[in-house]
Amino acid sequence: MSDKSNQNISELMDGELSSDCSRFLLKRMQSDDELRGSWNNYHMLRTCLQKEQSAPLLQNLGARVVEQLNRSNADVVVDEKQPKGLIKLFSGMAIAASVALVAVFSFNNMNQFEAPSNNVVFAKTSKQLINPPNATVVRVEQPVGYSRYPSLTPQVQQYIYDSNTNLTIPVYYNTDYVNNVFIQNQLKIKQLPADE
Amino acid sequence: MKLTEEDKMSEKTLDAELVAQAKEGKMQSFELLVNRYQQRVANVISKFVKDRHEIQDVAQEVFIKVFRALPNFRGDSSFYTWIYRIAVNTSKNYLVSRSRRIQNSQVEFEEAESFNTNEDHRNLDTPDAVYARGELEQTMSKAIAMLPEDLKAAIILREVDGLSYDEIAEKMECPIGTVRSRIFRARDAIDQALRPLLQDESMRKQNVR
Repeated sequence: MSDKSNQNISELMDGELSSDCSRFLLKRMQSDDELRGSWNNYHMLRTCLQKEQSAPLLQNLGARVVEQLNRSNADVVVDEKQPKGLIKLFSGMAIAASVALVAVFSFNNMNQFEAPSNNVVFAKTSKQLINPPNATVVRVEQPVGYSRYPSLTPQVQQYIYDSNTNLTIPVYYNTDYVNNVFIQNQLKIKQLPADE
Repeated sequence: MKLTEEDKMSEKTLDAELVAQAKEGKMQSFELLVNRYQQRVANVISKFVKDRHEIQDVAQEVFIKVFRALPNFRGDSSFYTWIYRIAVNTSKNYLVSRSRRIQNSQVEFEEAESFNTNEDHRNLDTPDAVYARGELEQTMSKAIAMLPEDLKAAIILREVDGLSYDEIAEKMECPIGTVRSRIFRARDAIDQALRPLLQDESMRKQNVR
Protein backbone atom coordinates (compact mmCIF):
# COMPACT_ATOMS: atom_id res chain seq x y z
CA MET A 1 0.00 0.00 0.00
CA SER A 2 1.60 3.22 -1.14
CA ASP A 3 1.49 6.64 0.46
CA LYS A 4 -0.05 7.86 -2.76
CA SER A 5 -3.06 5.58 -2.23
CA ASN A 6 -3.45 6.78 1.34
CA GLN A 7 -3.19 10.37 0.22
CA ASN A 8 -5.92 9.64 -2.32
CA ILE A 9 -8.07 8.27 0.48
CA SER A 10 -7.40 11.41 2.50
CA GLU A 11 -8.53 13.54 -0.45
CA LEU A 12 -11.47 11.27 -1.24
CA MET A 13 -13.01 11.64 2.21
CA ASP A 14 -12.63 15.42 1.94
CA GLY A 15 -14.33 15.48 -1.46
CA GLU A 16 -11.14 16.79 -3.05
CA LEU A 17 -10.29 13.91 -5.37
CA SER A 18 -11.23 13.86 -9.04
CA SER A 19 -14.27 11.78 -9.98
CA ASP A 20 -12.28 9.35 -12.12
CA CYS A 21 -9.65 8.76 -9.43
CA SER A 22 -12.38 8.43 -6.81
CA ARG A 23 -14.18 5.71 -8.73
CA PHE A 24 -10.95 3.87 -9.37
CA LEU A 25 -9.98 4.10 -5.71
CA LEU A 26 -13.39 2.92 -4.55
CA LYS A 27 -13.02 -0.07 -6.81
CA ARG A 28 -9.61 -0.84 -5.34
CA MET A 29 -10.94 -0.48 -1.82
CA GLN A 30 -13.43 -3.26 -2.49
CA SER A 31 -10.62 -5.77 -2.36
CA ASP A 32 -7.96 -4.04 -0.27
CA ASP A 33 -8.27 -4.38 3.51
CA GLU A 34 -5.37 -2.03 4.16
CA LEU A 35 -7.00 0.78 2.21
CA ARG A 36 -10.27 0.24 4.03
CA GLY A 37 -8.35 0.29 7.32
CA SER A 38 -6.89 3.69 6.43
CA TRP A 39 -10.37 4.94 5.52
CA ASN A 40 -11.67 3.80 8.91
CA ASN A 41 -8.81 5.31 10.88
CA TYR A 42 -8.95 8.65 9.10
CA HIS A 43 -12.65 8.88 9.87
CA MET A 44 -12.06 8.01 13.49
CA LEU A 45 -9.36 10.66 13.60
CA ARG A 46 -11.86 13.14 12.23
CA THR A 47 -14.35 12.17 14.95
CA CYS A 48 -11.76 12.65 17.68
CA LEU A 49 -10.48 15.95 16.29
CA GLN A 50 -13.95 17.36 15.97
CA LYS A 51 -14.67 16.18 19.54
CA GLU A 52 -18.06 15.09 18.32
CA GLN A 53 -18.25 11.80 20.15
CA SER A 54 -20.79 11.95 22.95
CA ALA A 55 -21.19 8.21 22.55
CA PRO A 56 -18.44 5.69 23.11
CA LEU A 57 -16.03 5.46 20.21
CA LEU A 58 -17.13 2.84 17.75
CA GLN A 59 -14.47 1.08 15.81
CA ASN A 60 -15.08 -0.72 12.53
CA LEU A 61 -18.78 -1.27 13.15
CA GLY A 62 -19.09 -1.76 9.40
CA ALA A 63 -17.34 -5.12 9.48
CA ARG A 64 -19.72 -6.40 12.15
CA VAL A 65 -22.79 -5.09 10.31
CA VAL A 66 -21.69 -6.67 7.04
CA GLU A 67 -20.94 -9.93 8.83
CA GLN A 68 -24.41 -9.97 10.36
CA LEU A 69 -26.03 -9.09 7.03
CA ASN A 70 -24.17 -11.89 5.30
CA ARG A 71 -25.22 -14.28 8.05
CA SER A 72 -28.88 -13.23 7.84
CA ASN A 73 -28.76 -13.47 4.04
CA ALA A 74 -27.46 -16.98 4.37
CA ASP A 75 -30.31 -17.75 6.77
CA VAL A 76 -32.79 -16.28 4.33
CA VAL A 77 -31.39 -18.45 1.55
CA VAL A 78 -31.75 -21.52 3.75
CA ASP A 79 -35.28 -20.48 4.76
CA GLU A 80 -36.19 -19.92 1.14
CA LYS A 81 -34.98 -23.38 0.22
CA GLN A 82 -37.06 -25.14 2.86
CA PRO A 83 -40.42 -23.71 1.82
CA LYS A 84 -39.65 -24.53 -1.80
CA GLY A 85 -39.26 -28.21 -0.86
CA LEU A 86 -42.43 -28.12 1.20
CA ILE A 87 -44.35 -26.32 -1.52
CA LYS A 88 -43.17 -28.89 -4.03
CA LEU A 89 -44.28 -31.73 -1.75
CA PHE A 90 -47.67 -30.17 -0.98
CA SER A 91 -48.32 -29.24 -4.60
CA GLY A 92 -47.57 -32.83 -5.62
CA MET A 93 -49.99 -34.09 -3.00
CA ALA A 94 -52.63 -31.59 -4.10
CA ILE A 95 -52.30 -32.64 -7.74
CA ALA A 96 -52.55 -36.31 -6.76
CA ALA A 97 -55.63 -35.61 -4.63
CA SER A 98 -57.36 -33.64 -7.37
CA VAL A 99 -56.63 -36.35 -9.94
CA ALA A 100 -58.08 -38.93 -7.55
CA LEU A 101 -61.16 -36.77 -7.00
CA VAL A 102 -61.76 -36.35 -10.72
CA ALA A 103 -61.29 -40.08 -11.22
CA VAL A 104 -63.80 -40.95 -8.49
CA PHE A 105 -66.42 -38.56 -9.85
CA SER A 106 -66.02 -39.61 -13.44
CA PHE A 107 -66.19 -43.30 -12.43
CA ASN A 108 -69.43 -42.66 -10.56
CA ASN A 109 -70.93 -40.84 -13.51
CA MET A 110 -69.96 -43.63 -15.88
CA ASN A 111 -71.63 -46.14 -13.60
CA GLN A 112 -74.74 -44.05 -13.49
CA PHE A 113 -75.15 -43.80 -17.26
CA GLU A 114 -73.71 -47.08 -18.35
CA ALA A 115 -75.84 -49.31 -16.18
CA PRO A 116 -79.39 -48.82 -17.42
CA SER A 117 -80.75 -51.84 -15.66
CA ASN A 118 -79.98 -50.34 -12.27
CA ASN A 119 -80.44 -46.67 -12.82
CA VAL A 120 -83.04 -45.84 -15.40
CA VAL A 121 -83.12 -42.23 -16.39
CA PHE A 122 -86.57 -40.82 -16.84
CA ALA A 123 -87.26 -38.13 -19.35
CA LYS A 124 -89.65 -35.81 -17.64
CA THR A 125 -90.14 -33.36 -20.47
CA SER A 126 -90.62 -33.65 -24.19
CA LYS A 127 -87.31 -31.92 -24.73
CA GLN A 128 -85.55 -34.52 -22.66
CA LEU A 129 -87.29 -37.19 -24.63
CA ILE A 130 -85.94 -35.80 -27.90
CA ASN A 131 -82.48 -35.18 -26.43
CA PRO A 132 -82.11 -37.71 -23.67
CA PRO A 133 -79.56 -36.75 -20.95
CA ASN A 134 -76.68 -39.11 -21.59
CA ALA A 135 -78.83 -42.11 -21.27
CA THR A 136 -78.72 -45.26 -23.29
CA VAL A 137 -82.25 -46.20 -22.32
CA VAL A 138 -85.03 -43.73 -22.06
CA ARG A 139 -88.44 -44.46 -20.70
CA VAL A 140 -91.20 -41.98 -20.72
CA GLU A 141 -92.62 -41.52 -17.31
CA GLN A 142 -96.18 -42.69 -17.33
CA PRO A 143 -99.13 -41.25 -15.47
CA VAL A 144 -99.25 -42.72 -12.03
CA GLY A 145 -103.02 -42.56 -11.51
CA TYR A 146 -104.07 -45.78 -13.19
CA SER A 147 -103.03 -48.01 -10.37
CA ARG A 148 -102.17 -47.40 -6.75
CA TYR A 149 -101.32 -51.05 -6.32
CA PRO A 150 -98.38 -52.05 -8.50
CA SER A 151 -98.30 -55.47 -6.88
CA LEU A 152 -101.65 -56.44 -8.48
CA THR A 153 -101.56 -58.96 -11.30
CA PRO A 154 -101.26 -57.64 -14.84
CA GLN A 155 -104.82 -58.67 -15.61
CA VAL A 156 -106.23 -56.68 -12.73
CA GLN A 157 -104.04 -53.74 -13.65
CA GLN A 158 -105.26 -53.94 -17.22
CA TYR A 159 -108.86 -53.99 -15.99
CA ILE A 160 -108.31 -50.93 -13.82
CA TYR A 161 -106.49 -49.20 -16.64
CA ASP A 162 -109.29 -49.90 -19.06
CA SER A 163 -111.96 -48.80 -16.68
CA ASN A 164 -110.03 -45.63 -15.99
CA THR A 165 -109.42 -44.81 -19.60
CA ASN A 166 -112.72 -46.05 -21.23
CA LEU A 167 -115.09 -43.36 -22.04
CA THR A 168 -118.30 -43.56 -20.01
CA ILE A 169 -121.47 -41.79 -20.84
CA PRO A 170 -122.78 -39.93 -17.85
CA VAL A 171 -126.31 -40.94 -16.74
CA TYR A 172 -128.62 -38.25 -15.62
CA TYR A 173 -131.70 -39.15 -13.54
CA ASN A 174 -135.02 -37.29 -13.30
CA THR A 175 -135.36 -37.15 -9.58
CA ASP A 176 -139.06 -36.21 -9.67
CA TYR A 177 -139.79 -39.19 -11.86
CA VAL A 178 -137.73 -41.51 -9.68
CA ASN A 179 -139.38 -40.22 -6.55
CA ASN A 180 -142.86 -40.64 -8.03
CA VAL A 181 -142.08 -44.18 -9.10
CA PHE A 182 -140.60 -44.97 -5.74
CA ILE A 183 -143.64 -43.51 -3.86
CA GLN A 184 -146.11 -45.31 -6.11
CA ASN A 185 -144.30 -48.58 -5.54
CA GLN A 186 -144.45 -48.06 -1.82
CA LEU A 187 -148.18 -47.29 -1.95
CA LYS A 188 -148.79 -50.38 -4.03
CA ILE A 189 -147.01 -52.51 -1.47
CA LYS A 190 -149.12 -51.06 1.35
CA GLN A 191 -152.39 -51.48 -0.56
CA LEU A 192 -151.80 -55.09 -1.54
CA PRO A 193 -152.45 -56.64 1.91
CA ALA A 194 -155.66 -54.64 2.26
CA ASP A 195 -156.89 -55.96 -1.09
CA GLU A 196 -156.15 -59.48 0.01
CA MET B 1 -2.94 20.70 -10.78
CA LYS B 2 -5.96 22.52 -9.51
CA LEU B 3 -9.24 20.64 -9.92
CA THR B 4 -12.46 22.45 -10.68
CA GLU B 5 -15.54 21.73 -8.58
CA GLU B 6 -17.01 19.76 -11.49
CA ASP B 7 -13.96 17.51 -11.63
CA LYS B 8 -14.07 16.66 -7.95
CA MET B 9 -16.24 14.00 -6.42
CA SER B 10 -18.02 15.92 -3.68
CA GLU B 11 -18.77 14.24 -0.36
CA LYS B 12 -22.44 14.02 -1.31
CA THR B 13 -21.55 12.40 -4.62
CA LEU B 14 -19.19 10.07 -2.80
CA ASP B 15 -22.04 8.95 -0.55
CA ALA B 16 -24.29 8.50 -3.56
CA GLU B 17 -21.61 6.43 -5.28
CA LEU B 18 -21.17 4.21 -2.23
CA VAL B 19 -24.94 3.83 -1.88
CA ALA B 20 -25.23 2.86 -5.54
CA GLN B 21 -22.51 0.25 -5.12
CA ALA B 22 -24.12 -1.07 -1.93
CA LYS B 23 -27.43 -1.38 -3.77
CA GLU B 24 -25.62 -3.54 -6.30
CA GLY B 25 -24.68 -5.82 -3.43
CA LYS B 26 -21.10 -4.65 -2.93
CA MET B 27 -20.90 -5.15 0.80
CA GLN B 28 -17.45 -3.58 1.14
CA SER B 29 -18.91 -0.30 -0.08
CA PHE B 30 -21.59 -0.51 2.57
CA GLU B 31 -18.88 -1.20 5.15
CA LEU B 32 -17.17 2.03 4.08
CA LEU B 33 -20.46 3.90 4.50
CA VAL B 34 -21.03 2.47 7.96
CA ASN B 35 -17.55 3.35 9.13
CA ARG B 36 -17.95 6.82 7.69
CA TYR B 37 -21.11 7.52 9.73
CA GLN B 38 -20.87 5.13 12.68
CA GLN B 39 -19.84 7.76 15.21
CA ARG B 40 -22.41 10.32 14.21
CA VAL B 41 -25.14 7.68 14.38
CA ALA B 42 -23.86 6.52 17.77
CA ASN B 43 -24.02 10.11 19.00
CA VAL B 44 -27.66 10.37 17.98
CA ILE B 45 -28.50 7.08 19.67
CA SER B 46 -26.74 8.15 22.86
CA LYS B 47 -29.38 10.88 23.32
CA PHE B 48 -31.91 8.12 23.91
CA VAL B 49 -29.96 5.11 25.10
CA LYS B 50 -27.46 5.42 27.92
CA ASP B 51 -25.79 2.07 28.11
CA ARG B 52 -22.59 1.79 26.09
CA HIS B 53 -23.19 -1.75 24.87
CA GLU B 54 -26.80 -1.00 24.03
CA ILE B 55 -25.69 1.99 21.96
CA GLN B 56 -23.48 -0.31 19.96
CA ASP B 57 -26.28 -2.84 19.51
CA VAL B 58 -28.77 -0.18 18.43
CA ALA B 59 -26.20 1.34 16.05
CA GLN B 60 -25.77 -2.08 14.49
CA GLU B 61 -29.54 -2.44 14.17
CA VAL B 62 -29.75 1.02 12.59
CA PHE B 63 -27.26 0.17 9.88
CA ILE B 64 -28.93 -3.16 9.17
CA LYS B 65 -32.21 -1.29 8.71
CA VAL B 66 -30.39 1.23 6.54
CA PHE B 67 -29.06 -1.53 4.32
CA ARG B 68 -32.48 -3.13 3.94
CA ALA B 69 -34.06 0.24 3.18
CA LEU B 70 -31.39 1.25 0.65
CA PRO B 71 -33.66 0.54 -2.35
CA ASN B 72 -36.03 3.21 -0.98
CA PHE B 73 -33.29 5.85 -0.73
CA ARG B 74 -33.74 8.13 -3.71
CA GLY B 75 -31.12 10.70 -2.77
CA ASP B 76 -33.56 13.60 -2.33
CA SER B 77 -32.00 14.35 1.04
CA SER B 78 -28.42 13.75 2.07
CA PHE B 79 -27.52 10.25 3.11
CA TYR B 80 -26.80 11.35 6.66
CA THR B 81 -30.18 13.11 7.03
CA TRP B 82 -31.82 9.89 5.93
CA ILE B 83 -29.92 7.63 8.35
CA TYR B 84 -30.40 10.19 11.11
CA ARG B 85 -34.18 9.65 10.90
CA ILE B 86 -33.73 5.90 10.93
CA ALA B 87 -31.45 6.20 13.95
CA VAL B 88 -33.98 8.30 15.90
CA ASN B 89 -36.87 5.96 15.09
CA THR B 90 -34.86 2.87 15.90
CA SER B 91 -33.75 4.34 19.23
CA LYS B 92 -37.32 5.23 20.20
CA ASN B 93 -38.59 1.82 19.16
CA TYR B 94 -35.81 0.24 21.15
CA LEU B 95 -36.86 2.17 24.24
CA VAL B 96 -40.51 1.27 23.73
CA SER B 97 -39.62 -2.37 23.31
CA ARG B 98 -37.70 -2.25 26.54
CA SER B 99 -40.64 -0.49 28.21
CA ARG B 100 -38.59 2.47 29.15
CA ARG B 101 -39.77 5.98 29.44
CA ILE B 102 -38.41 8.23 26.75
CA GLN B 103 -36.87 11.09 28.62
CA ASN B 104 -35.95 13.11 25.59
CA SER B 105 -39.02 12.58 23.50
CA GLN B 106 -38.13 15.40 21.18
CA VAL B 107 -34.48 15.73 20.39
CA GLU B 108 -33.82 18.33 17.78
CA PHE B 109 -31.51 17.62 14.91
CA GLU B 110 -29.04 20.32 15.93
CA GLU B 111 -29.19 19.28 19.57
CA ALA B 112 -28.42 15.68 18.71
CA GLU B 113 -25.52 16.85 16.60
CA SER B 114 -24.15 19.21 19.20
CA PHE B 115 -21.81 17.76 21.75
CA ASN B 116 -21.60 20.77 24.04
CA THR B 117 -25.34 21.03 24.71
CA ASN B 118 -25.43 17.55 26.14
CA GLU B 119 -22.90 17.68 28.90
CA ASP B 120 -24.96 15.29 31.01
CA HIS B 121 -24.55 12.57 28.41
CA ARG B 122 -20.79 12.66 28.59
CA ASN B 123 -20.66 10.44 31.64
CA LEU B 124 -22.54 7.56 30.14
CA ASP B 125 -19.53 5.38 29.52
CA THR B 126 -18.29 2.60 31.70
CA PRO B 127 -14.89 3.25 33.34
CA ASP B 128 -12.99 1.09 30.87
CA ALA B 129 -14.60 2.88 27.94
CA VAL B 130 -13.78 6.24 29.45
CA TYR B 131 -10.25 5.08 29.99
CA ALA B 132 -9.93 3.73 26.45
CA ARG B 133 -11.33 6.89 24.99
CA GLY B 134 -9.24 9.00 27.27
CA GLU B 135 -6.18 7.09 26.21
CA LEU B 136 -7.04 7.55 22.55
CA GLU B 137 -7.61 11.26 23.03
CA GLN B 138 -4.41 11.64 25.01
CA THR B 139 -2.41 9.77 22.39
CA MET B 140 -3.95 11.83 19.66
CA SER B 141 -3.34 15.10 21.51
CA LYS B 142 0.30 14.10 21.91
CA ALA B 143 0.57 13.14 18.24
CA ILE B 144 -0.95 16.46 17.17
CA ALA B 145 1.35 18.38 19.51
CA MET B 146 4.34 16.65 17.98
CA LEU B 147 3.29 17.54 14.43
CA PRO B 148 5.25 20.23 12.60
CA GLU B 149 3.40 23.57 12.71
CA ASP B 150 2.42 23.57 9.03
CA LEU B 151 0.89 20.09 9.24
CA LYS B 152 -0.88 20.89 12.50
CA ALA B 153 -2.36 24.09 11.08
CA ALA B 154 -3.50 22.33 7.92
CA ILE B 155 -5.27 19.45 9.70
CA ILE B 156 -6.95 21.73 12.26
CA LEU B 157 -8.14 24.14 9.56
CA ARG B 158 -9.60 21.16 7.70
CA GLU B 159 -11.13 19.04 10.48
CA VAL B 160 -11.95 21.58 13.16
CA ASP B 161 -12.73 24.67 11.10
CA GLY B 162 -14.09 22.69 8.14
CA LEU B 163 -12.33 24.74 5.46
CA SER B 164 -11.93 23.47 1.90
CA TYR B 165 -8.48 22.86 0.42
CA ASP B 166 -8.77 26.05 -1.59
CA GLU B 167 -9.55 28.09 1.50
CA ILE B 168 -6.70 26.49 3.43
CA ALA B 169 -4.29 27.19 0.58
CA GLU B 170 -5.40 30.78 0.58
CA LYS B 171 -5.07 31.06 4.33
CA MET B 172 -1.68 29.37 4.48
CA GLU B 173 -0.49 31.11 1.34
CA CYS B 174 0.71 27.94 -0.33
CA PRO B 175 -0.21 25.88 -3.41
CA ILE B 176 -3.19 23.54 -3.10
CA GLY B 177 -0.93 20.57 -3.77
CA THR B 178 1.00 21.44 -0.64
CA VAL B 179 -2.24 21.55 1.33
CA ARG B 180 -3.15 18.09 0.05
CA SER B 181 0.21 16.77 1.09
CA ARG B 182 0.21 18.45 4.51
CA ILE B 183 -3.25 17.21 5.42
CA PHE B 184 -2.38 13.69 4.40
CA ARG B 185 0.93 13.69 6.26
CA ALA B 186 -0.75 14.97 9.40
CA ARG B 187 -3.41 12.23 9.19
CA ASP B 188 -0.83 9.60 8.51
CA ALA B 189 1.32 10.64 11.47
CA ILE B 190 -1.63 10.58 13.87
CA ASP B 191 -2.83 7.30 12.37
CA GLN B 192 0.57 5.72 12.97
CA ALA B 193 0.44 6.85 16.59
CA LEU B 194 -3.10 5.54 17.10
CA ARG B 195 -2.76 2.18 15.31
CA PRO B 196 -1.26 0.25 18.25
CA LEU B 197 -4.02 1.50 20.54
CA LEU B 198 -6.75 0.71 18.04
CA GLN B 199 -5.34 -2.76 17.48
CA ASP B 200 -5.27 -3.36 21.26
CA GLU B 201 -8.86 -2.17 21.51
CA SER B 202 -9.86 -4.41 18.62
CA MET B 203 -8.17 -7.41 20.25
CA ARG B 204 -9.85 -6.64 23.56
CA LYS B 205 -13.29 -6.49 21.93
CA GLN B 206 -12.71 -9.78 20.15
CA ASN B 207 -11.73 -11.41 23.46
CA VAL B 208 -14.86 -10.05 25.14
CA ARG B 209 -17.03 -11.43 22.33
